[in-house]
Amino acid sequence: MRYFLLVFAVLAAFLLGCAHEQGAPLSPVVPDAAVTGNAQGKDRSESLPVLERELDAGLPFDGVEESDELDDPDAQEEEVRISDPLVYWNKAMFHFNDKVYFWLLKPVATGYKAILPEPVRIGVKNFFHNITFPIRFAGCVLQAKGREATAEACRFMFNSFFGVAGFGNPAKNYPHLNPPEEDPGQAFGRWGIGNGFYIVWPVLGPSTLRDSAGLAANHFLNPVSYVEPARDSFAITGARVVNNSSLTLGDYEAFKKAAIDPYASMRNGYVQERKKKVER
Amino acid sequence: MTKRVMGLRIFLVAFSFLSFVSLPPAFGSTALEAVETNVSAVLDVLRDPALKDDSAKEAKEKKLWSIADTMFDYPGLSKRTLGKNWETLNSKQQEEFTDLFSTHLGNVYLDRILAYSSEKVVFDKEKTKEDRALVNTRVLGPSKEIPVDYRMVLKDAGWKVYDVVIEGVSLVENYRSQFKEILKDKGPEYLLETLREKAGDKGR
Repeated sequence: MRYFLLVFAVLAAFLLGCAHEQGAPLSPVVPDAAVTGNAQGKDRSESLPVLERELDAGLPFDGVEESDELDDPDAQEEEVRISDPLVYWNKAMFHFNDKVYFWLLKPVATGYKAILPEPVRIGVKNFFHNITFPIRFAGCVLQAKGREATAEACRFMFNSFFGVAGFGNPAKNYPHLNPPEEDPGQAFGRWGIGNGFYIVWPVLGPSTLRDSAGLAANHFLNPVSYVEPARDSFAITGARVVNNSSLTLGDYEAFKKAAIDPYASMRNGYVQERKKKVER
Repeated sequence: MTKRVMGLRIFLVAFSFLSFVSLPPAFGSTALEAVETNVSAVLDVLRDPALKDDSAKEAKEKKLWSIADTMFDYPGLSKRTLGKNWETLNSKQQEEFTDLFSTHLGNVYLDRILAYSSEKVVFDKEKTKEDRALVNTRVLGPSKEIPVDYRMVLKDAGWKVYDVVIEGVSLVENYRSQFKEILKDKGPEYLLETLREKAGDKGR
């Protein structure tokens, strides 16, 4: 009993330390900026989305200086290039994944969405996000990002405790507990390892040679992978995919509608996004 | 004083009042304000109860398009998505491409704004350098937060958007990679035909 109290006391102290940003008040940081004036002067009722302007809050995790964002708009921009020697395989997988989405994932996720209310599904998403903390933690450590690693650890403890096993996400109100998310694939990129080539995996989706090594690392860092028997681990992962898809139904369809060449668009979008994350 | 001078004075006062009123709304505003004004105008139209039913659809679309027209720098955008390949099109093709692509992009943008019209939009900050600006905004959904950045250029009529960056992905760059493939394999006419199909049935 004594030992339990001791452990509890240490844990509580640690958690309070996490919540308390250096020099900042303990209360959650809520954007408190004035509502912008409406040009037409109409009344805004509560149900309407409120447009808020936040002053430059000086967030705790400053990204790379974006001075290059403001270069001459008429100059040819540097393009992200990726070689695609496996293009025939990749296009086949792209179409395969397309069918898997429309014939399998979307119907299941739609049914799932109809049964479970959104707050529950968000809770499940939070749970999985919380337990995959080792992936993000390793990503930070491998890049020697100490502050971000600490933030990840703190958030994990905070949400596990105050968020009841991670279903809640009370940490979202604390900017210093929400670092940009890292993973081993990004770490490899930061080490200077180039993408290699583009590859589309069945079901898993777009990736590159380097990021695929990252995906393998993720597998070993994911606690769900160690659930026995393997069938159960697979089922849990399936549940996660269905749950998270139920929250983003319509995104893939919108993407296809917007694209002139969906395959090329996805390839470019993936590489751009990863490049941005690596450089962050 | 003589009637003539009096008349002239009145004329000058009236004229100066008119010229003030006729200034473009975004003139003198910052890039952030321009984005805010336009996005809030779009959201207002999308949720205007008077324009809710189908009979008002056309009026609604017309209003949305007029806002999009002031917001985006269509020629600059279109030219940038073709990059070096712009020169491979003749002037008639260039004109049609600009028209088709801007219609398509406007549709995509309005479609997405409609999907997120119930979310909160936060206008974070802007970074300006001479006649260029980067405006950072975020769309806050129940389960996630999407950063949407606008790259803008200051033209005579005010700040115009020449690129939208969503979650780190530049729209212009993304379309450029798509168009590069199509132009390389199939040529300008095929691209225009594809765009005609995409944008032709909808839009203004």
